[in-house]
Amino acid sequence: MTQTIAAPATPTAVPAAAPAHRTGVRAALSRTPGKMRVAGAVAVVASLAVGFLGLRAGLAQSDALADADADTTQLVGIQDVRNDLVVADATATNAFLVGGLEPPEQRARYDEAVASAANGLAQLAGSNEADAELLGKATAGLTTYTGLVEQARANNRQGFPVGAAYLDQASSVLRTDVLPQLDELVGANSDRVDASFDSVASVPWLLALGILALAVLVVVQVWMARRTHRRLNAGLFWSTVLALAASVGGAVVLGSSAQQASDVRNGPYDETVSVSRAYSLANDAKSMESFTLIKRGSGAAYEETFVAETDEARTLLSRSTVDPGLVPLLDDWVAAHQQIRALDDGGDWDGAVALAISPDPGAPNDVFETFSAAASSSLEASSAQTHDALSGSGGSAVLVGWLMLVAGLLAAVLSWRGISTRVEEYR
Amino acid sequence: MTTARTTRTLRRGAVLASLLLLAGCAGAPAATPAAAPQEAAAPAAALPAATDCDDATTSYAPDGGATPTVDAIRARGSLIVGVSADTLLMGARNPLSGQIEGFDIDVLHQISTAIFGSPDHLQFRVITSAQRLDVLENGEVDLVARTFTMNCERWDTIAFSAEYLHAGQKVLVTRDSTATSIEDLGGQRVCAPDGTTTLTRLQETYPDVTAVSAPTHTGCLVLFQQGKVDAITGDDTILAGFAAQDPYAKVVGDAFSDEPYGIGVNKDQVDLVRFVNGVLDRMKADGTWAATYDRWLGALGPAPVPPTSVYGRVEAP
Repeated sequence: MTQTIAAPATPTAVPAAAPAHRTGVRAALSRTPGKMRVAGAVAVVASLAVGFLGLRAGLAQSDALADADADTTQLVGIQDVRNDLVVADATATNAFLVGGLEPPEQRARYDEAVASAANGLAQLAGSNEADAELLGKATAGLTTYTGLVEQARANNRQGFPVGAAYLDQASSVLRTDVLPQLDELVGANSDRVDASFDSVASVPWLLALGILALAVLVVVQVWMARRTHRRLNAGLFWSTVLALAASVGGAVVLGSSAQQASDVRNGPYDETVSVSRAYSLANDAKSMESFTLIKRGSGAAYEETFVAETDEARTLLSRSTVDPGLVPLLDDWVAAHQQIRALDDGGDWDGAVALAISPDPGAPNDVFETFSAAASSSLEASSAQTHDALSGSGGSAVLVGWLMLVAGLLAAVLSWRGISTRVEEYR
Repeated sequence: MTTARTTRTLRRGAVLASLLLLAGCAGAPAATPAAAPQEAAAPAAALPAATDCDDATTSYAPDGGATPTVDAIRARGSLIVGVSADTLLMGARNPLSGQIEGFDIDVLHQISTAIFGSPDHLQFRVITSAQRLDVLENGEVDLVARTFTMNCERWDTIAFSAEYLHAGQKVLVTRDSTATSIEDLGGQRVCAPDGTTTLTRLQETYPDVTAVSAPTHTGCLVLFQQGKVDAITGDDTILAGFAAQDPYAKVVGDAFSDEPYGIGVNKDQVDLVRFVNGVLDRMKADGTWAATYDRWLGALGPAPVPPTSVYGRVEAP
C-alpha cells in the first residue's frame, strides 16, 4: 500500500540508473510530501503493531490459561490416583489385622480404590504424552502390587502366615515402584502449572510494547503539526485515540484475567494441592498405624513415620487457603490413633487391634472416615472451582485479542487517511 | 582366624554327624541326635557344630533360690517375650484367630503359668532373627523363644536356658528337584534369613552355593514361591512349616548340622534362667513336652525323647 502510493512521488528517480536511485530517493525525501508519506507509513505500521500485539497477547493469554487448566487437571488427576492407591493399601493392611476373613465392605473399598486408580492411570497417560512413560511404570507396579495383595489374601484365607510376608512385599512394591513415580509426576506437573501461571501473569506486559507504538503516533502528529501549522490531524488523532483505547482496554481485560488466574493460583488451586497431599499423607499414615500393630512391638519405625506424616498433613491443612474445618477433623483422628497406641504400648495388643479394626461409630476407623470424607469433598469442590475459573477466562482473552486487531486495522486506515489528506494539499 | 577355626569345626561336626547317621540310626534322623548324646558321650561333645567350644548347651541348674527377676516380672503383671509371628509350627500368627501360636509359644505359655498361674500373661513382641540378641541385651524383653540356636558366641552376650528342642539344618527344594542334599545345589540360589547360624554356615561351608538373604524365614518362602531362589535352607522345624504352606515344596536330605534350641535370657538374669529351666525340666518329665511336640511337630515324626538338660555352668563373677 505504501509503495503503490509512494511510486508516483518518485517517477523521475525510477527510470534513472542505479547510482542515481539513491539521489532520487533522497531528493523525494527532502521534499515535504515525501516526508509526509514516510511519516504516514510509520503511523500505519505503529497502528498495525498495536492490533497485532493485541491479538498475539490475547491468544497467548488464552493458551496459557488453557495450559494452566490442563496442567492443574493432570496434577489433580495424578494426586487422585496416588490417593486411591494409599487408600487401597490402608484398607488392605487394616483388613489384614482383622484376620483371614476380611469384612466385605473393606474388600469392596479396596476393590473400588484399585479400580479407580487403574482408570485414572489410563486416562492420565492419554491426556499428557510427557507423563506416559512414568505412568506406564506406575501401572506395571500397580499390577505387581495387586497380584501380591491377592497372594497375601489367598494365603491368609488358608491360615498360612506367609500371607503376611506377601502383604509386606506388596506394600514395599507400592512404596518403591509406584508412589515415587507418581510423586515425580506430581513434581513435574506442578512445575508445569507454575510455568503456565507465570506466563498468564506475564502476557499483559506484552501490551506495554503498545506504548512504544503510541509514542510513535504522537511523535508523527507533533511533526505533522509543526510542518503543516495545523494543530490537529483528525485521522492521526482518532487513530491515536483508538490505539490508546484498545491498548488500555486490552490491558485491563487481560490484566484482570491474569489477576483472576493469580487468585485461582493462590486460592482454590493452592487448596486443592495442599488438601490432596494432606489426604495422601493421612492415608499413608493409616497404613503405618496398621503396620505398627502387625509388627507387634517392633513397629516403632512405622509409628515415627505416622507422626511425621500427620504433622506434615496438619501443616498443609493449616494453610490459609484451606477450609479451616479440616484440621480439627485430622486432630480427632490423631487423638483416636493415640488411644490405639496407648493400649498397645500398655501391653494390650489385642485391645489395640480390636480398637483399630472396630467399625463402631467414634472408633478410629469411623473418625478417620469422617476426616477422609470431608477432605474428599473439599478437594472436589476446590478442584472444580479451579477448573471453572481457568477454563472460563480464556474465551474473553481471545475476544480481546481480535477486537484489538480490528482496532489496530481501523487506526491504520485512519492514520493513512489523515496523512493522505495533507499530502493531497501539495498537489 | 576365628572364621577358619569355626569352619574346620563345622566340617568336622558335619562329617561326624553323617558318620553317626551311617552307623545305623537311619530311622528318624531328626530324632536321633537328641537321643544319641546320652548313649555316646564322645561324639556328643563334638556335635554342637555351630560352636568352637564344647559347653554351648550347658546352662544354669534350677536351685529354688531367690528369684528377684521373676518377682519383678510377676509384679509387672506380664512376661514380655520376643517371638516370631511368621514361623509356622514354631511361632506364627494364625490369620484366622489373630493369635500367635506354635511350639515356642506353648513353651512360653507354660512359663507364664509357672509365674502367674495363668498361661496368658504374655506380652508378645514380634522380632526378626537378627533382632534376637539386641532385644535381650537392651532389656527390651524378658525372654526370646524364637528357634534360637545355642552357641558359644551367643553365650558371650546373653544367657540361654537348657536345650528344649533339637533341630537340624536341612534344605527345602521344589517338588520336582532331583537334589537330595545341599551338596547338590552348587551354583544355585539358596535363601537363609539374616542374623542366623544358618546363613553363616551357608556362606562359610558351601561357597559353591549362591547365598541369598531375606529379613525373615518367611521372606525366603516368598522368594522361593516367586522363583527368585531355588532352595531354602533352615532348621527342619522351620522347613516343616514351609512345606505345610506350599504343596510344591519338599524337604530333602539328612540334617547337616545340629541346632540345639534354648530360650534366650539377658546375661545378668541368671535367676530367670534357673527358673525357666525348672519349668522346662518339669515339661520334659511330665509328658507336656511330648504332647506339645506331637501337637506342632508331628509332621517330623513321633515325639522323640526330649533333649536332656545339661547343667553346670558357673556364673561369671
